[in-house]
Amino acid sequence: MAVSRSLRRNNTITYILAGVLCIFFLYFFFGDSASIPSISTAPRQLLKSKDAASNALSPPSLPFRKPANLGPNEVAPPPPVVHYHMNNVTTTPDPVGNRESILILTPLARFYQEYWDNLCKLSYPHDLISLGFIIPKGREGNLATQQLQERIQKTQAPTNKNRFASITILRQDSEPPVQQTESERHKMAAQKERRAAMSRARNSLLFTTLGPTTSWVLWLDSDIVETPPTLIQDLASHDKPIINPNCFQRYYNKDKEAMDVRAYDFNSWQDSPTAQGLAAKMGPDEILLEGYAEMATYRSLMAYMAEEKGDPRKEVELDGVGGTALLVKADVHRDGAMFPPFPFYHLIETEGFAKMAQRLNWKAYGLPNYYVYHYNE
Amino acid sequence: MASPEAQAHIPAVQDQVSAYGRTNMKTRYQPRSSRSMLLRRRGMLIRLGGAVATILIILMIVFPSARPAAILAGPLSLGLFSGGEEFNIETVRYYDLSNVQGTSRGWEREERILLCAPLRDAAPHLPMFFSHLRNLTYPHNLIDLAFLVGDSKDNTIQLLSDLLAELQVAEDPKQAFGEISVIEKDFGQTVNQDVESRHGFAAQASRRKSMAQARNWLLSAALRPTHSWVYWRDVDVETAPFTILEDLMRHNKDVIVPNVWRPLPDWLGGEQPYDLNSWQESETALALADTLDEDAVIVEGYAEYATWRPHLAYLRDPYGDPDMEMEIDGVGGVSILAKAKVFRSGVHFPAFSFEKHAETEGFGKMAKRMKFSVVGLPHYTIWHLYEPSVDDIRHMEEMEQERKQREQEEKEKQDRIAKIQDQFEEGGSQWEKDKEQIRDQEKKDFVARQAKGETKEGEKEASEVKIEKGRGEGKMHIVDPLNEIPEVGGKSPHKKEAAGEEKAKPKKVDQAAAQNADGPAAKVEDAKPAQQKAG
Repeated sequence: MAVSRSLRRNNTITYILAGVLCIFFLYFFFGDSASIPSISTAPRQLLKSKDAASNALSPPSLPFRKPANLGPNEVAPPPPVVHYHMNNVTTTPDPVGNRESILILTPLARFYQEYWDNLCKLSYPHDLISLGFIIPKGREGNLATQQLQERIQKTQAPTNKNRFASITILRQDSEPPVQQTESERHKMAAQKERRAAMSRARNSLLFTTLGPTTSWVLWLDSDIVETPPTLIQDLASHDKPIINPNCFQRYYNKDKEAMDVRAYDFNSWQDSPTAQGLAAKMGPDEILLEGYAEMATYRSLMAYMAEEKGDPRKEVELDGVGGTALLVKADVHRDGAMFPPFPFYHLIETEGFAKMAQRLNWKAYGLPNYYVYHYNE
Repeated sequence: MASPEAQAHIPAVQDQVSAYGRTNMKTRYQPRSSRSMLLRRRGMLIRLGGAVATILIILMIVFPSARPAAILAGPLSLGLFSGGEEFNIETVRYYDLSNVQGTSRGWEREERILLCAPLRDAAPHLPMFFSHLRNLTYPHNLIDLAFLVGDSKDNTIQLLSDLLAELQVAEDPKQAFGEISVIEKDFGQTVNQDVESRHGFAAQASRRKSMAQARNWLLSAALRPTHSWVYWRDVDVETAPFTILEDLMRHNKDVIVPNVWRPLPDWLGGEQPYDLNSWQESETALALADTLDEDAVIVEGYAEYATWRPHLAYLRDPYGDPDMEMEIDGVGGVSILAKAKVFRSGVHFPAFSFEKHAETEGFGKMAKRMKFSVVGLPHYTIWHLYEPSVDDIRHMEEMEQERKQREQEEKEKQDRIAKIQDQFEEGGSQWEKDKEQIRDQEKKDFVARQAKGETKEGEKEASEVKIEKGRGEGKMHIVDPLNEIPEVGGKSPHKKEAAGEEKAKPKKVDQAAAQNADGPAAKVEDAKPAQQKAG
């Protein structure tokens, strides 16, 4: 008698559980059947910048629906015919108002928490931001991938209302040429090879993640740890095809015994006759580099155009750009402007990119008084 | 020491037992029936409810249309479960690019191909192109299609989306392709797409640059981290092997193109090399390139730039080994198979003058610059559609006119002869009638004579008349009335046989007449007006 009673008491709990399960099942029926008709009854779709695509084959700049669970004999319906009206993809000075989507691309060698925090602080609507990362093979790359994925898991949780539209992580197909410590990385001889590999990484990332709905591309290096939260809006408001803020670095100034800033990126410059003369004398496979005493180019560097308390909206024309932070209209890349992994007019990577864009009639500009800050090792 | 402790425990246990006993007693002596009835009824209700729920769930599984969401349609369910939408959406993708390098046996490794086709006013060629697509032997689910439709004035976009939808709902699931993207983008190009303006020398540079732009837009929008190969194919290819993807892939080259020819009408020689953009670099061309300014574009196949380059097209031997490879520097865009890593590393179709070349030729040059292998197959040929040029059309019009003129002349001649024949026939029948009358008269005379008893002479006469009559029946109007006709006809045996049907087939006579000398024909002509007057 005692046993049956306890059973009976348990029964009510079981029934409650069963009820909950029932609701659970029903819930999935709802969810399931809601997604089916959109595929089977509409073989023709029109995707815009904010839509979720129906399968994983879609452009990586768009989120996609998880595939429906299929029975053993069920076959997934063939992917729909998707139309993209690229005439309607705009790039305007008011990207938020016009709901223009942006792709932030980062070649990631090392993962910095500050970088991620800064990224999450950007005030641009996150549902219009897609992220793309390319990470080299190797131990360091694996570590960076792991750290990145941990952060992504938190940020992209379905419960997070502020999650990014989509994130693509690519692992590079080739090994990085040589291991790079800060001092080694900037040695002149190693530069060409290093930057050629970097160019390939950038191009791989760009051409596989650039979607038909993307309006802007923001190149942001993984060691940029501090930017204004309105970075995207500020840069886009200038309405320039290519725009480059000034990249500085915070450091401890021993003379002043206080934190100070110094110029970091020397790849943003205006060309000089000296540099052109040097280039004219070079062999076809040699490159001009900036910031080395052995090769005095006398170019006007944007790093040194910064004025204290200068107008942050001041624009200057540039012939070479740096890649630490760079906002580009997606059309520039679509026309074919890429990061040449070979000497292009004796220029390589981001500097070569500016030159190639110029050949395609797109001009580059810089903001000498608008700063982003590089990590200090 | 142990026993007192144990003893101390016993009462406690007994207490517990008694307590249980008491509670048991309580329930046992409770009024039983009402409670158990209630329980039983409740149990039954629950069991019944459970059974109904199970049946419902099974029904819903079997018939998806019975699900409440399907019954109550979209808006309600979306309203109810909009909170769940985020859970159905995946935002993170992870790809390892070393898995999509491209190998010689891609179909076994399930390597995905991106098939790109830029379209402009291409509606007339689309049905042919789609039949090519259906015939491809490479697994269709591994082929992603991407089209860029721009500046089209015809119904390309409508036709394309109809054909694509048809393709994806095909009965055979193996026919359906992978991702299909149709990109609509107008560049505002001013160059016409007709053959003459497309291939004129002056228009080439700017045309090639805008074509390059379209190709780059298409590629940058459609290339995914999942692609191992990219195949560029023009829609106006008329004949290509179904296995072309595998055939090109087997060579395992970074960039590979077949030879492209086109069939021609007989009067133009039957066939002709079409794509002259696949070539090997020559010293002459390099020297020429140095003399040109930065924005100049060398285009192949025009007398303006004599480059003396060995062209893939001219090296074709119809009986050569189709697997033979040839290193090339410029490539033509009709059918290019390239590894996706070529495009990933940044090679594209320069829309500016890259080493004095643009578009596909510049693509070849840039691929070479990045140390990729660029190869052409001189003896593996696909056939481009023959679209007559303006000159050809003019020539064809001339030929057509000539033909019509000839036909007209022939017809006139025929009419004339037929008319003459008709009129002669009339004359002939007159003769016949007259003859008939004469014969009748003779017969009458003969009968009269027989009656008179002049038998011997009469028999002779009658036999003669019979022979005459026989001849008259066989040859009708030719023999007797106008001796000129058989002379005109010349080829008498044939003529004589056909003579009976002459009215039905006047042409033969006419041809024969035309073959013969002018003299008799002129004679006939002379005769005509007089007869017409008579008619």
